[in-house]
Amino acid sequence: MMHSSRLTRRSVIKGGLGLALATTALTTLGLPIPARAAGKKVIIGAFADGGLTPFKQKIIPLAKEQGFDIEFLEDEYGVTLEKWFADAQSGAGQYDLYLLDDPWVPQFGAANVLEDLGAGGIDGSDKDWIGSMIDMGYWPPQQGPRVKGFESAKPTLICVPFVGDLQTLTYRNDVFTGGAPKTWDEVIAKGKEGVAAGKIKYPVVFRGVSGNPIVTSWYPVFLSFGGSFFDDKWNPIFNSAEGKASADFFVGTMKQNAPSGVVEFDSDQEGAAILGGEAGAIIQYSGNALKADDPAQTKVAGKLDFGVVPSQEKAIAQMGIFIAGVPKSAPNKANAIEFLKWYVSAETQAKLSEAGSIPVKRSAFGIAKPGNRLIPVALQQLDAGALPRPRTPDWAKVEELLGIELNKALQAGSGGGAALDTAAKQVKDYLTTAGYY
Amino acid sequence: MRGATQARKYRLQGAGLDLALPYLMLAPGLMIVLGVLVYPLWDGLRASTRAYRYGSPISDVGLQNYLHLWSDAQFLNALWITVKFVALSVSFEAVLGFALALFCLREFRGIRLLRTVLIIPMVITPVVVAIVFRLIYASDAGMLTALSEAIGGGEAQILGNPLNAFIGLVVLDVWEWTPLMFLILLAGLQSLPHEPFEAARVDGAGAWRVFADLTFPMMRPVLAVAIVLRTIDAFGTFDQVFVLTRGGPGEATRLISIYGYDTAFKFQQTGYAAALFVTIGLVVLALAFSAIRLLRRIDVS
Repeated sequence: MMHSSRLTRRSVIKGGLGLALATTALTTLGLPIPARAAGKKVIIGAFADGGLTPFKQKIIPLAKEQGFDIEFLEDEYGVTLEKWFADAQSGAGQYDLYLLDDPWVPQFGAANVLEDLGAGGIDGSDKDWIGSMIDMGYWPPQQGPRVKGFESAKPTLICVPFVGDLQTLTYRNDVFTGGAPKTWDEVIAKGKEGVAAGKIKYPVVFRGVSGNPIVTSWYPVFLSFGGSFFDDKWNPIFNSAEGKASADFFVGTMKQNAPSGVVEFDSDQEGAAILGGEAGAIIQYSGNALKADDPAQTKVAGKLDFGVVPSQEKAIAQMGIFIAGVPKSAPNKANAIEFLKWYVSAETQAKLSEAGSIPVKRSAFGIAKPGNRLIPVALQQLDAGALPRPRTPDWAKVEELLGIELNKALQAGSGGGAALDTAAKQVKDYLTTAGYY
Repeated sequence: MRGATQARKYRLQGAGLDLALPYLMLAPGLMIVLGVLVYPLWDGLRASTRAYRYGSPISDVGLQNYLHLWSDAQFLNALWITVKFVALSVSFEAVLGFALALFCLREFRGIRLLRTVLIIPMVITPVVVAIVFRLIYASDAGMLTALSEAIGGGEAQILGNPLNAFIGLVVLDVWEWTPLMFLILLAGLQSLPHEPFEAARVDGAGAWRVFADLTFPMMRPVLAVAIVLRTIDAFGTFDQVFVLTRGGPGEATRLISIYGYDTAFKFQQTGYAAALFVTIGLVVLALAFSAIRLLRRIDVS
């Protein structure tokens, strides 16, 4: 007897259900079995930066010895702010710890997406903190103007300083033979002599790309000319006479003494110029500076020294610390806070300093053998003057508006002052719309 | 009696299944469409009528976000740059793609290999293409600079000059997407009937006459489809610009997609960005409808 197999409704439904069940079962079986954690799991999100190399190489292994199972996830700088903010706000819980750039703290603070680390047992009043660094971990800020809606709110410690990065000067000691140049005029004048002598190709190199890079490069020049960014009512005052002089100097004199393609330069090209032996001096964070003595990474090992940023009126640098925050949605919140407590302890900070990274506790600057000669210079710069960027949640937009105008002036090689006027108007309009006044 | 009840029961079951089965079959697909298409669209529309602060909605503002767009100099500038970029890129791609398709229609030794090589650019990830072009354009260590210096010139200034950066972006897009145009048009050419061409040849028509009187008119619907597809796609260009110029220098290459991305994710103006993207979506939709109408008219003629 022959059986004919007929396609019926019943067989289709049965088959469909069977297939669905089988797929579900296979998917479930096929899911990776979570590996047994090798310790207290902490997922750290960071943007790729040489300033974190000592932490990755020396401190993560130490943390493992302490029972922490560190997962270190790196991304490109340009995408981390939006990625982490979306993670924190949606409660996705992809990270336990963000290593933020310090100007991002107000944005995360205003959105109320980070844990109160003070309540978690981290002591923000410890006298060993570098004061200007721990201040950046509070929202709303303990000092200075506050944005609307946060005038009377109690400052909460939502972040703790992680790597005490700040701008310093890196210069060629065979060009600036008398030590670090004291003023910008000296940078240019001696740099030209170095070019004439065939030691370097350009007196100075900096980052000219629109947005954060160009503003970061211009800011120490602006501060050294005596400029201030906002008044205490959030009115832009960066287009003051001092500000305009700094912008004209930046897009004029500095550009003339830099590579012709500086308009498109970011930190990679800036680093390549100093490490490759083409530049006389640059202002930079620690990422490339840490490579200065490694012949495998620089053509001019032994010829690079560090100093306090040049002054015109003052020698003030921009701070740009890595600062750690724990999202409220962190899957291993308790571990993350415990890790931070261990990390910011005086003992671990001393190890960080030994590893060559700029610490965030004053005691760690004073250890017998800091792992990099940049560390004492960073302390000198802190004492000479280092300022954070304005503590507003809208800094990203402000930086964008200003960066575009500065970049346009840099292309033209003139009109820095006018660029600041245009940017100031745009910033004022934007902040007005955002309800600042 | 019992048998009749049983039979009625089975009949009813069968009728019920008949009624329910189409809906049961449609349900999974429908749920997916609702979840990934309709709901996000609805949510986006709702967001576009709200004001956001620090990433959260604070008030309903009706159509204010949409109205504000037309007085936002940065939006208008980004829109203008996008229109220029789309017009230039798609025009070049259409002309080059058509020329290549006509060339590759012929059969000769190595033609299969040539056709394969020609479509390679479009299968490379756009981000990788942008990184490669960055290495070509970079003024300090780029390939163009090396070439220029080898012949006694100076550094090639592409990414630091507004006009050159814009042209550089168009060149990148043309390099990457001409193959798509080529592929669609080649398929179109291969599907044309042979008879009219043979008749033209018998009548002694030259290559230009054949192209102008036969090939081009017959290919117009295919060309229109290819242009519409590429135009819609080009309006959404993001990856290449993000990696190559990030919208700079200044605002020279800041396409609407980059401006929208920054507005939404970097500056957390979610409502305003939603209004921006809805507006652009409507513009692209209008373009697509016009193109379809045009196609119908071509078909009729």
